[in-house]
Amino acid sequence: MSTIGDIIGFNLIVIGPTLVLVATALLLLFCTITIETSVFIKQSITLMGILATIFTVFLKFGLFFTDGVSSYFSEKILLDEFSLFGNVLISLILLFNFTSIWNTSAEVKDKTTEAIILTLMSASGFMLMIDAENFMMLFIGLEIGSISLYALAGINRGDLLSNEAALKYFLLGSLASCVLVYGVALIYISLSISGFYDTAIAISYIGPPNVPLTTFIGFLLLVVGLLFKVAAAPFQSWAPDVYQGSPTGYVGYMASVAKVASFLVLCRLCVVSLRFVIDNFDLFFVVVVIASIFIGSFFATVQSDLKRLIAYSGVIQSGFILSGIVSGVNGTSASIFYMTAYVIQLIGIFIIFTVISGRLSSNFSIENISGLFVENKFLTICFSIFMLGLAGIPLTSGFISKFILITNLWSYESYLLVVILMLSTVAGFYFYLRPIWIAAIEKSESPVEKITLSRSHVLSLSVLAFATIYFGLLPNSLINISRWVIQNYL
Amino acid sequence: MSTLIYTLLLFPLFGSLIIFTMPKNRSELFRPIALFVSMIPFGLCLYLFTNTKSKGSYIDIDTINWIQSYGINLTFGISGMSLLLLFLTAILTLLSFFSVTEKYSQSKGFIGSILVLHFAVNGVFLSGDLLSLFIFFEALLIPMYFLMGIWGGENKRYATIKFIIYTVFGSVFIFIGTVYAGVISYSSTGRLALDFITLSSISFTAEQSKTLFLLFTFGFLIKVPIFPLHTWLPDAHVEAPTAGSILLAGVLLKVGAYGILRVSIPFFTEGFIEYKFIIAVLSVIGIIYGAIVAIAQIDIKRLIAYSSVSHMGFVMLGISAGNYLSLEGAIIQMVNHGLTTGALFMLVGFIYERRHTRRISDFGGLKISMPKYAAIFLFCSFASIGLPGLNGFVGEFMILMGSYSTYKLLSGFAAFGVVLAAIYMLWAYQRMFTGEISISENQELKDLDTKEMISVVPLAVLMLFIGIYPSFVESYVAQDALVISNLIELFNGGLN
Repeated sequence: MSTIGDIIGFNLIVIGPTLVLVATALLLLFCTITIETSVFIKQSITLMGILATIFTVFLKFGLFFTDGVSSYFSEKILLDEFSLFGNVLISLILLFNFTSIWNTSAEVKDKTTEAIILTLMSASGFMLMIDAENFMMLFIGLEIGSISLYALAGINRGDLLSNEAALKYFLLGSLASCVLVYGVALIYISLSISGFYDTAIAISYIGPPNVPLTTFIGFLLLVVGLLFKVAAAPFQSWAPDVYQGSPTGYVGYMASVAKVASFLVLCRLCVVSLRFVIDNFDLFFVVVVIASIFIGSFFATVQSDLKRLIAYSGVIQSGFILSGIVSGVNGTSASIFYMTAYVIQLIGIFIIFTVISGRLSSNFSIENISGLFVENKFLTICFSIFMLGLAGIPLTSGFISKFILITNLWSYESYLLVVILMLSTVAGFYFYLRPIWIAAIEKSESPVEKITLSRSHVLSLSVLAFATIYFGLLPNSLINISRWVIQNYL
Repeated sequence: MSTLIYTLLLFPLFGSLIIFTMPKNRSELFRPIALFVSMIPFGLCLYLFTNTKSKGSYIDIDTINWIQSYGINLTFGISGMSLLLLFLTAILTLLSFFSVTEKYSQSKGFIGSILVLHFAVNGVFLSGDLLSLFIFFEALLIPMYFLMGIWGGENKRYATIKFIIYTVFGSVFIFIGTVYAGVISYSSTGRLALDFITLSSISFTAEQSKTLFLLFTFGFLIKVPIFPLHTWLPDAHVEAPTAGSILLAGVLLKVGAYGILRVSIPFFTEGFIEYKFIIAVLSVIGIIYGAIVAIAQIDIKRLIAYSSVSHMGFVMLGISAGNYLSLEGAIIQMVNHGLTTGALFMLVGFIYERRHTRRISDFGGLKISMPKYAAIFLFCSFASIGLPGLNGFVGEFMILMGSYSTYKLLSGFAAFGVVLAAIYMLWAYQRMFTGEISISENQELKDLDTKEMISVVPLAVLMLFIGIYPSFVESYVAQDALVISNLIELFNGGLN
């Protein structure tokens, strides 16, 4: 006699990370509004929450190794390699951004806890988004995640740039969500289903040539909604303003978490739902990739603001990652490697920006950082490693990811993309090396005060820089993980 | 043997780590440590000269299973040609540590960067597959970026960016070529095998061979550099600090020519036969153009930089002629140019430290105040011109002899390069060293001290040694030249 719970597949472990994050956020909220709690206790609660999330991810691994790929809650929640990988990545992003977020929160007066609550809520949303089996769940997760991010961008209410960022992010982001949900509706109208696996089965059942046009339009809109979140051109216009305007300590988290979640969902969409009809989208994706490369490279070259530069570099990197996702399953695994390597460097760079943001009074124009690191060798080395990693110089993970990606693209016979992607790296060497030059080589005219690093920043920067070098020298482990993620679809 | 190779490769890196982690206040120890560290590769090269294996053509020494799921291996190997270039790198690094002034020798970053550069160059010459070759080829840029960026001259920013962008632009094509070759080898061997032994067993179609040759050669030619891709070179040389110039001219330019000899020609011979005439023409233009522009220079460092364009033109002419004699000459000339130009840049560095100017017109009559310096400068100039009995003559003579049988007219033009070399070097010598001292500051210049003599005399001795006993060097390059020229002949015969 099976209970109703067994029938619908009720299992708290599967949504464990989401639950723990929400519970932590609620506990913090409770502490803030009822009892006078010291910052240290709140920080401890947050850290415990993040560690508990990591623990529940471990539990999910245990469940996965006994049950395999399976769906829960009436096929709303999926437990597969993508979701596990995404859970791990998001928990680690939270862990590494922990100090930056708290440091920045201390500077934004009166809203110390608000920011961390929003962060945890958005992480829970993106976790749900990766776990979703169903397009509606995907939408719910995306919205929970995104709305918190809009608020996070504008949390510094006194700052005009922050306000602008939040408004822009909110308006354009809601538009993208509308597009996405409309796409979901169209898919549902034409196929009467809305699951990742169900659509694949339906498409193979009716035969790819007979798939109604509305389904294609639906998928196209769904993809556009996701591409907006990863800031691929021509949907990138929000990124530079949001990166520039938002409080620096949050940007590393905001940028990486949305990218990771959306890219993993895109991967799953491409290798699962669209696996029989992915060729029909080739032209669209090629245009998006080329546009991202050109727009990103062009604007990054002429950028005078560091945060905007990183935003445009993010557009280029999105182009790279996307080019892999749409070129076969091996390309997808290369993209997962690429994305992980990129996120590591991105978080590292934003931790450094957080450290120096106090010196710059939020003005990240490139002249402002001249000579900033001359005195601090540790920051110079870390900054150089991350920037060189983004540029893709050998001995960093950036090179390996580009090599694997380009090799896959070439064997997929996308020669045009290979040439364009590679030429963009030449431009990359110009704009990635320029900040190193200005910050680390040029002497500043006015004396710079010495930068002191907190111990946790040193720790997280060392780990991230070490990872960048480690995956550049011994990439086997990460490559094996990225191949494990897609192993079912080979 | 593999332990030996890895020591040769990794010891400089290890040394740089020691330097970087040392406390700042023990800066007087940096130079002794650097000297000790660079002594090891130097000693290993000397030891390898006695090994019979090193006289042969390329052999694999060791393979590392690097990325299992793609079947990518890193292979390391050695041949007579790479041994000579490794020796050149080792001796130039060692002597530049001797020659640098206190300002540089007490800087962690400077000493460390040169050791990292040494590591990367060793990597290029020891690599036995396309991927590791590319990795080290690009990794060269990081230490050069900091060397030129931090310790460069006035216009360093422009020169550094130009150098980086030119090289990266070239290496993009090498990268695409590597990927293309990898995909072809994947379809025939079932794994991404890029090592030289596998590549030489793969038969590329004519189309593939031509494309791959173009991709690789374009990247390497920028590094050589060949006319009209040479414009980064004068700027980079002038702005780089002395030790940087020595290594840039002495070693980094050889990386390009080495790549063509090791990769482009042996594996993509059909492409080489298709395009060799274009390379030959460009080389001869480079020889004449570089020499003429050198005559017009007013800055002695820039003059030597342009002479490099001319000399590397000889190397490329020898390579493009593609017969046994010219190839041998080209490899020997690579070593010669490294020794001669390295010594000349070092000498220019000595005078720059004393007078803080490099304009030829600021000198005059230096042989009265600095007789030893004048003598050594004249000696190196003669070596650079190609005076019989010194090393330059051996290389250029072999190149001209060899290329005459392939390109009669072109080698005739190239011979003018030797005459022009005499004009620019001797005229510069005349203006700087002979006559009366007209500028009072030149009156009380100190002559070379012991440290400076130690750093430059070994190079002069080697120039003389190669000049009077060339068969020693020749015995190490013979096998490499033979293998390459046989391949070219085979394909030439096949096509006719």
